[in-house]
Amino acid sequence: MVKITLDRITKKFGKFTALNNITLEIEDKEFMALLGPSGSGKSTLLYTIAGIYKPTSGKIYFDERDVTEVPPKDRNVGLVFQNWALYPHMKVFKNIAFPLELKKAPKEEIEKKVREVAKMLHIDHLLDRYPWQLSGGQQQRVAIARALVKEPDVLLLDEPLSNLDALLRLEVRAELKRLQKELGITAVYVTHDQAEALAMADRIAIIKDGNILQVGDPDEVYYKPMYKFVAGFLGSPPMNFVEAEVEGDMLRIYHSRIPIPKQYGEIIKKLNITEVLFGFRPHDAEIVRGEAEGIKGEIYSFEPLGREQIITVAVDSDVFVKVFAPEEEHFRFGEKVTIVPREDRVILFDKKTEKALEYL
Amino acid sequence: MRDVETRPKKGEWIIVFTILFASLPLILGFALLVISSFSRDMVTNLSLSSFRPTIENWINVFQGKLAITGGIRQNILKITLNTLVVALGVSGTVTLISTLAGYSLSRIKFKGRKLMMLLLLMLHAFPGVALIVGVYLLYRLTFPQEPSFVRLYSFFYVILARAALEIPMSVWLMKGFFDTIPWELEWSGIIDGASRIKVWRQIMLPLIKPGILAVALFGFLAGWQDLIYVRTFLIDQTLATFIEANIEAEYSHMPLIAAAGTLYLLPTIIFFLTAQQLLLQSYSGGIKG
Repeated sequence: MVKITLDRITKKFGKFTALNNITLEIEDKEFMALLGPSGSGKSTLLYTIAGIYKPTSGKIYFDERDVTEVPPKDRNVGLVFQNWALYPHMKVFKNIAFPLELKKAPKEEIEKKVREVAKMLHIDHLLDRYPWQLSGGQQQRVAIARALVKEPDVLLLDEPLSNLDALLRLEVRAELKRLQKELGITAVYVTHDQAEALAMADRIAIIKDGNILQVGDPDEVYYKPMYKFVAGFLGSPPMNFVEAEVEGDMLRIYHSRIPIPKQYGEIIKKLNITEVLFGFRPHDAEIVRGEAEGIKGEIYSFEPLGREQIITVAVDSDVFVKVFAPEEEHFRFGEKVTIVPREDRVILFDKKTEKALEYL
Repeated sequence: MRDVETRPKKGEWIIVFTILFASLPLILGFALLVISSFSRDMVTNLSLSSFRPTIENWINVFQGKLAITGGIRQNILKITLNTLVVALGVSGTVTLISTLAGYSLSRIKFKGRKLMMLLLLMLHAFPGVALIVGVYLLYRLTFPQEPSFVRLYSFFYVILARAALEIPMSVWLMKGFFDTIPWELEWSGIIDGASRIKVWRQIMLPLIKPGILAVALFGFLAGWQDLIYVRTFLIDQTLATFIEANIEAEYSHMPLIAAAGTLYLLPTIIFFLTAQQLLLQSYSGGIKG
């Protein structure tokens, strides 16, 4: 129940810079996802907020309070680890009660609070077991209960779902989101799974190599990516990128020519740019048999998914794009097709900086 | 315990037989000792005719009668107690110091940590016998003036000196055990509000019980078996020095010494049998899919 302000945080491990000058504000009661590939520094950032790591430079504020030098126990944060880090020698009750016992809370209060939080997470029938007697999903609930029992101001989650199987993950995802809003707790959620971030977070910060590339709500980062990396990281399958050359009012894409999307006409003229990356999402394009105005290619492969299918089209000998098509349509290998991207959803990136043209 | 169930079973009996054959001298030695202790004459000549069963040796040992004739008496119970004090003292000292030091070396960054680990390893390589002159000098220098303290002091000194020999290896062993515990457990404890010493006590120690037990066991055995240090520094006798002192005495009745030797073996065996149960039992890790 605080607002977290990260002010120019840099963290170095020896010569390696894990976090590079990160500035980020996480609003009170907000669910913020830190999204990035492994090794991007997202967990380091989380541990810096928790106080396990101290930033090499920069400041951390909880509301107005400078907590940069404050040890973890005085920050009032709860942390759920990727492997849940339950104490194997303690029963579930003791695991959850541990933070309260350390605070020397009276016995009745501990008892009451543990039962309360256990009930909230539907693990009240498991209190008498050891962690190794529980399933993965149950262990994870215990870990969340332990983080919540001391009523922290901030809940930090380090890939808490990545050790669960796919079905359970979907279930917990919805529940966790609901829980965070009910408790009105400020939450920071580290994940490498873009679907999790999109599904749960109020805002997403995409991190790569210790830098924050973009911060925004799920719609914003999904539909208005600032970088090719962001566009390619979000969505499954990710956004397609093909090289394109500007030729007057047209874009040459391998063996096809299509008009420059309207929203980019002015920008291209202004920037006087010739080489761009043409980006479109698999569901923002149609696939048409034979020749039409669009990107020509031939069917390389198709993967039915039940409701729809993913078609892989070879635009050139080793350039492939993926497009969704309705399940009823049946294609043959090698069939000539044309991809017609939805013009208003197309995003052009600068080839050198890999930044979207409108942000150049 | 599980094993690969499809391993080839063909040549297994050859291996078992070889192992048995190789350990035969050892088994035979212990067997002869135990059998002799129940016999009027030693059976170490491997002749069955010298085995004349009796429990007299054991009765004599407990009564402290060293020779069948003559009136030389020793209080064996007190000697056993002395041995126990030294063994438990060494065990306790080694365990306490090595769990603390092992934790620090494994988990806390400080200057000279690497050097310290290297020196510990070097220290372990020094044979205890080689150090004995220096250790004796220290013993004389710190020897108390007050005569009534002398015996207590000698206990204190021998425990510390003997423990010092065990500590380097034990610290390494404990460090290894602490290294296997994931950092997340420690971080989790710290975030929950525990101090480092509480993390050590309440989270780490219960998780490395098998390691603690191993170190305690080795410490106990070191103290129980030690001859040289005990003989040099301890004014009282332990079982080891008692056997050593009487084995060559002209009045000594060998089967009686065999009984004392068997007595000397017993705690080791009991300790091992109970400890191995605990050693084998370790927590299955926290992660389950």
